[in-house]
This record gives sequence, C-alpha cells and structure tokens, in this order.
Amino acid sequence: MKALLTTLFIVVTSLGTGSMAEPVVVVNAESSTPALSQSQVIDIFLGRYRSFPNGGAATPIDQPESSAIKADFYRRLVNKEPNDINAYWARLIFSGRTSPPLQASRSVDVPELLARHPGGVAYMERSQVDKRVRVVMEFPR
Amino acid sequence: MSVLQGMLSRLHLRGLLLRSTLAVVLASTLAATVAISYTAHSTSQRAHRASQTQLNELLDTIESTLAVACFAKDQTLAGEVAQGLLSNADVLAVVISSGQELLVDRHRRPAGASDASLAQQRMIYSPFDKQMQVGSIQLIPDPQLIDARIREEVWLAMLQLSWQLAMVAFAVVGIMLLFIVRPIKAMSDRLHGMDPTTGERLATPQSHLNTEIGQLVVDINALSDRLVSALATERQLRVQGEIGEKRYHTIFDNAESGLFLTTDQGALTSWNPAFTRLFAIGPQHLAKAQPELNILDLPWHDASQMSELVRQAANGSSAVSRELRIVMPNSQSSWVHIVLSGVGNKLLQGVAHDISYLKASEASARQLSVTDMLTGVANRLGLEQQLHALVQDHAASNTGGFALLIVNLDGFRQINDGVGLPAGDSILKATTARLSACIKSDDTLARLAADSFCIILSQVTQGEMVDRIAHRVLQSIRQAYFVDGSPINLHASMGIALFPNDGFDVPSLLRQAELALDSAKMAGGDTHVFFNPVLAEAAEQRRHMESDLRNAILRQEFVLFFQPIVDLRLHRIAGAEALIRWRHPTRGLVPPDSFIPLAEKTGLIVDIGLFVLEGACRQLLAWQNQGLDYTLSLNVSGRQIPQGLPPSKLQEMVQHYGISPAKLALEITEGVMLQDIDKSLEWLDAVHALGFRVYLDDFGTGYSSLSYLKRFPVDTLKVDQSFVRDMRDDSNENTLVGAIIAMGLSLGLDIVAEGVELPGHLAALQGMGCQYAQGYYFSRPVPAEEFDAAAARITALLAQPKPDSEIPSEISTG
Repeated sequence: MKALLTTLFIVVTSLGTGSMAEPVVVVNAESSTPALSQSQVIDIFLGRYRSFPNGGAATPIDQPESSAIKADFYRRLVNKEPNDINAYWARLIFSGRTSPPLQASRSVDVPELLARHPGGVAYMERSQVDKRVRVVMEFPR
Repeated sequence: MSVLQGMLSRLHLRGLLLRSTLAVVLASTLAATVAISYTAHSTSQRAHRASQTQLNELLDTIESTLAVACFAKDQTLAGEVAQGLLSNADVLAVVISSGQELLVDRHRRPAGASDASLAQQRMIYSPFDKQMQVGSIQLIPDPQLIDARIREEVWLAMLQLSWQLAMVAFAVVGIMLLFIVRPIKAMSDRLHGMDPTTGERLATPQSHLNTEIGQLVVDINALSDRLVSALATERQLRVQGEIGEKRYHTIFDNAESGLFLTTDQGALTSWNPAFTRLFAIGPQHLAKAQPELNILDLPWHDASQMSELVRQAANGSSAVSRELRIVMPNSQSSWVHIVLSGVGNKLLQGVAHDISYLKASEASARQLSVTDMLTGVANRLGLEQQLHALVQDHAASNTGGFALLIVNLDGFRQINDGVGLPAGDSILKATTARLSACIKSDDTLARLAADSFCIILSQVTQGEMVDRIAHRVLQSIRQAYFVDGSPINLHASMGIALFPNDGFDVPSLLRQAELALDSAKMAGGDTHVFFNPVLAEAAEQRRHMESDLRNAILRQEFVLFFQPIVDLRLHRIAGAEALIRWRHPTRGLVPPDSFIPLAEKTGLIVDIGLFVLEGACRQLLAWQNQGLDYTLSLNVSGRQIPQGLPPSKLQEMVQHYGISPAKLALEITEGVMLQDIDKSLEWLDAVHALGFRVYLDDFGTGYSSLSYLKRFPVDTLKVDQSFVRDMRDDSNENTLVGAIIAMGLSLGLDIVAEGVELPGHLAALQGMGCQYAQGYYFSRPVPAEEFDAAAARITALLAQPKPDSEIPSEISTG
C-alpha cells in the first residue's frame, strides 16, 4: 500500500512538472548576445542594468499581462507573483529613471519584437522556440 | 533658623543635634547626587535607546521601498524616501548608497563628526534575493533633541528627590529631638544635681521604659550603685591602710635594728632612728633639704665590701648578708651584720644589726682557747701558734731569730701535794708574774703544763744574752714563795733551744728544748741547759737503749742478784734483797741505775717487775727446799703501783710457788708514796693485808714525814746507805742515823741499815739497836748460785770475835 502511494506521488509529480510550461530566455537569432546567467537576466528584466555583459544595450520584452508564461517566468526568476512585480514597477515608474520591459500584446509577437529591437531579450515556452530566436538562458530543471 | 539655634544652645546638645543634622544633610546630598547621577545616566541611555528604536522603526517602514530604490539605483525614489525620513524631527541626516554609488545624502543641518557616532546604519538587500546586498542607509539622529529630552527628565528627577530628602531630613531631626535629645537632656539635668551617695537615682523618662534610653538609665543607676559601693570599700581600705602604716611606722621607728631602703646605686631613700644611731648619721642628713646620703659613704672600714654586697643584692634574687666593720670618726670600731635584698623597682631593703658584742665574745672565745685559765698567759696551743707565726715570719723575711726556753719547777708535784691545790695554784700564778717580769713586752710567756712554762725571747739569737736572761729567770724563782705566811723555796730547771740555729720547725724546737730541760733535770735541777747536738745524741742513745731494753725482756737478758741481809742480833743470815742486773750482750753487766729510770719512763718496768717477782719467788722456793728460812725483799717502783703490780698478782705468784707471803718483802721509797698518796695507800693496805711485808727504802733522803710512817702500813725501815756510809763517831750522821733508828724502833718497826762497809759501822749500828744490816762489809750482791758461798763467808765473819765498838781510825779514813 505504501509502495503504491509512493509510486502514485512520483507519477503525479512528474505529470505536474511535465504539464507545466518551461520558460527559456531567448534573443534574436542573429543577435550576438552570449549566454546569460539568471542574475544577469534578473538585472535586465527588473531594470537594474539594461545592458549585456558584452556592452550592448538590452531591451527586455515581457509576455502579455496575465499570461501564464509571464507569471511562470517571474515565479521562476525571482520567486515573485505578478502582483509583486507590478507593485515593484509601480514604485519605480514614479521616479521615471527606469521603466518596465516592453509588453508584447500577444505571445506570438515576441519573436517579432525581438527582431525589431536590437538588443531585445525575451522569454517563451521552450516549445515555441524556433529558428528566429536563440536561447541564452535556461532555468535549471 | 535662629529659633533652632537657640533651642540647640539651650539644650546644650548643639553638637549631637547639629552633627546628626549635618550628617543627614550630607548623606541626603550624597544620596541625591548619586541618585541624580544615576538618573542622568539611565535617562541618557534610555533616550538614546528610544532614539535608536525610533530610527529602527523608521527604517523598518521604508526598508522595502528603499530595497527597490537601491536595487534599481533609483535616486529619485531614494530621495523620496530620505525626504520622508527627514520629516521626522529625530532624524538629522540620511545617507543612502547603492554599492559604491552614493544615491542620496540629505540633512537638516550640517552634522558634526560627533553626531556620526550615533548614526544608525542598515544594510539593504535586494527585494528578489535576501542574500544579495544592494545598498545601505545611514540615519543620523539629532543629538540636540536627545540632550534636551534628557535634561528635562533629569531636572524633574532632581526636583522630586530634593523634596523627598528635605522631608526626610526634617523628619530625622524632629525624631531625634523628640526621642533622643530631649530624654538625654532631661537625664543630664537630673544628673547635674544628683548625689548618688544619698541614694538618689535617675528616673526613667516617660515612654522610654523599654527603649535603649530606659536601659541607659538602668545602667547609669547600676554604675552609680557600683561606684558608691567601690567608694565605700576604698574608704574602708584607706582607713585600714592608715592604721597599718601607723603600726609599721611604730615598728620602723622603735626597731633595735637599723632598717633602710636604698637604690641599687647605694643612695639611701629612708632609714630609721636605729640606723641613724648605728652609723652616727649627723643631723645634716635629717633635715628636709638633706644632701643625698649614699650607703657607701658611711664610715665603712672597707667600703668596697659594701659596694660588692649592694651589687650582689641588686643582681641576685635572694637576700645577701655580710659582716662589715665600721670605724667611727672617733676611731671607735664596731661590727654590723648587713642583710640586703631586692624589693623591685631598683630598690633594696636592708637590715643592719650591731654585732660588736658577738664579735667581741668571738674574739674572747678565740683568746680563751689559746689562754691558760689559771695564769692568763698563753697555753700550749697559743704558744704553738706564736711559734708558727714567728717561724713563718722568719721564712718570709729571713730575720728574727728567737730563743725558746722551757722552765719547769723542780719537785713542784710534791710541793703541791704538800700544801694543797689552791696554794699550788697561787705559787704558779706568782711564778707567772715573776717570769713575765723577766721578759720584754714583745716576748711571749706560756704555760705548757702544770708546772711547766715556756718563754719565747724574740729577736734574740746570741747565747750570752739568753744565758743572762736564764740566770735572771732562775734567780727570780729561787726567791721564797709565801703560802699562808710560810716561806716555800723552789727552784726550776730550764731547757733552751735557739731558732734558727737548733731547728727550723716548731715540733723539733720544742723537742730540743725539752731534751735540754731533761738534761738540766738530770743534772739535778736548778740550772739551765742549752740544747746541743750531744743531747740529741743522748736522746738517740736512750732510744736505742729503750729498744735494747725491750729486746732484753724478750731475750730474758735480766738476772737477779741477791745481797744478803744479816741479823746482827742473831748473827745469822736473815735473808736478802733481790737486785736486778742486765746482762747486755755487748756492754756486759749493766747496773740498774743505767736502765731502771728509762724502764720507769717507758713503762717497761712493769714487765721487768714481774720478772723480778717471779725470780724472787723461785729463789724463795729454792731456799725453802734447802730448809733455809730466808726473807727476800724486792724493789717496787712507783710506776708499778697500783696497776703494774696488782696485789692479786702477788698473791697468785706466791700461791703458785707455794711460799709464804711473809717471806716476801716489797721495798718502796718515800717518793713513790708521795706521788699519789691515796692510791699508794690503798695498794699498801691491800698487799699488807695479804701478808706481804713492806719496807720503806732509802729512808731519810726524801721528804720523810712521821705522819706518813704512821699512816702507812710499813714493817721495816731501810736506812739509806748515804747516812750509814758517812757515819763517824762524832759526826752528825751518827746522830741522824741514831735518831732514825730510835724513831723506827719506837714505832715498832724493824730497821735495816744499808751500805754497811766497815766493821765500825757494824759496831755503831749494833750500839744503836739496829737489828739488820746489809752492805759490802758482808757481801756484794751475788748471783743465786754464789749466794750459798757468800752466806758461808758471812757466817764465818759473824763467828769472829766481836770487834771493838770503837770505829778504828784506819777504817774511818778508808
């Protein structure tokens, strides 16, 4: 009975994991941006530094508001809920020194936006990664 | 305040109340200071803590916003935050930095360096990563504000405390006044006028029955009791002490002994009247302002002895004593016995006795021991001491020869017996006076024995001078002594020894003087003889003789000779006189004159006498066996009477030989009789009672006295040969012999004439009625074996025709 329960738990867990989206950080495929660390990604997306390690200006691009992937991404990135992120930006917006990332109206626009903005950096489901983008950071499994 | 002062002074307790008030004030001030200091300190700390807490709370409210600002390095947002903080009055300045980058630095007014020490710093961490520091904020509080707050609080505390302390101080003073000062004052007032000896006591103040004040009153009353009691005891003791001191003073003043106190240096501190008298202390020392009198300054004969005594007493623990001599200014000397003992405190107490009387009696006893009681001159002991002193003086200085004269009265014993002891003593005293008149003051006169005196002529060494003095001495003795008015004539013999010529030591000097005296005696007395070595030799010879005599007794060298005694009336042999001879191995036949005196002197006469007795008895037995009815007489010396020849021994001897005592006659001389009349008489009576005959020998030579003849049991008189030998027709001797014979006959005694040598003697004697005779005319003394021949010859002689009664002329010349 105990063995059965254990087996069941493992199956459920693996199913959960498997069912969850797996965001990865990407850049335009033609960008020369090298691979990024998680903290570099944090600095860029939360407005601390808006440049890549190689010196180029970085432009972060968010998935649409209320999208699952956005919540998932920030949850994985800084372990914050979307509300927290919004509250964060609300404080900073006031001073105007920095601004939140560009917000794609739709998820599918993200590669487009990447292509339009040199130095753009975004995130997406791994499953949606195509040849237009290049993964520069993956969350550890 | 002045009211309080007045009250204090009135209470006479200014000190106590003032002191306690001051103490309370001081203590309160001190306590207040400490309390305020503490309050200030704690208030300050509390204010600082409160400030910090407030700053922390402020920081807490802005922390999350600041985290965002720092994360995003947003100066605007940070500035907003800082502005917000500065709106708080406590905050003086805000500094926000992000990493190396200073975001904001705002302050209300410029902050001093000291203010930074109060700064509150907090690290700011990333809103997304609590591990990641993204900046820091520093808040500096406003110190002026904090100080103002502290001052206010301290001031309030001070005010409060001062009020409280003032209240307490007043309360204490009041309480002291009420509970302590006032009761004590009341007690003090009461004590001032109280007389405990009348029994007055303190009353316990109201409401203090059980307090310490009440206890104090009890204690004071108890103390009063004890003091009163102690006073009474002390008074009693003082009265007793005064009585004791009076008694002691009486003893001290009236004691016969000198009592005194002195320091260990000898300074006298007190003494009694007896001491004053003893040492004749002058009145200058009795005055009040007396000069210090030291015991060592008293008229000691030898003050060093006294100082030694003081030293001993000061150092020792027990009493010390000594006899000391004092010499008064008038040169009168006396002796005191001093006892000293320490009494502590470097003081010595002493007792001084006058022991002059003791010393005098001691000296007198010492004098007596060397003094002859009868005459008052030195005795033998004194003489010997004087001689030793002179000999020692001579040894020390090699000067001062002297002469030793021994003077012996000739025949004094007979005189003494004749005139009686008191008269004899007066003669001795007179002799002493005469002798002392003959000598100088530095000469010595001593009495050695009854009639023996001794003179030391000091500083005399020459024989001539001694000779002169000796003559004078003997001459003085020859003067007649008067006893009860009758004159008595005496003379003396003298032996003289000279020091240092004749001897160097006292015993030999005395011996030599005695030898010389013996020599003078032997020469017949009434002369003096100087010692010379010949005398010593003679003495030596006598000693040899004595030893020979002893040997003679052992070797039986004595023999008896017999001289016949003739009965003139019956013309036959009546008997014989036994005469002793000594057959000396080298000197031949020694006559009795040569050894009998020595035998008498040495006591050997006793043994010789017994030999004679036994020989006489043996001869009598022989004659008895021959049928001869002879009588035999033997000579008895004074030394044999009474112990040397006891009557019992005589009886035993005649019984042993079986002869009649009537055949044995004992010849004694008058001198023998006179030596000790009572004992001699007793002995004579005893032997006479036993049947022995008694002959009085040598009659007429001594101090013959008719009374003796009557008193003594004498049977026969033997007329001394000196009278018989000198008989002539017309001589006095004839008359004398006739008188003796007539007297003897009238007393009923037999008469034996000795020394008959001539026919004329015989005729005269026969004419006088003398019955018995002996002498060379008949026979010399002969040995026993020749006696018969001699007897035959006498018988033949008697048978011859009777010669003329006239004494032939040729005989008288022969």
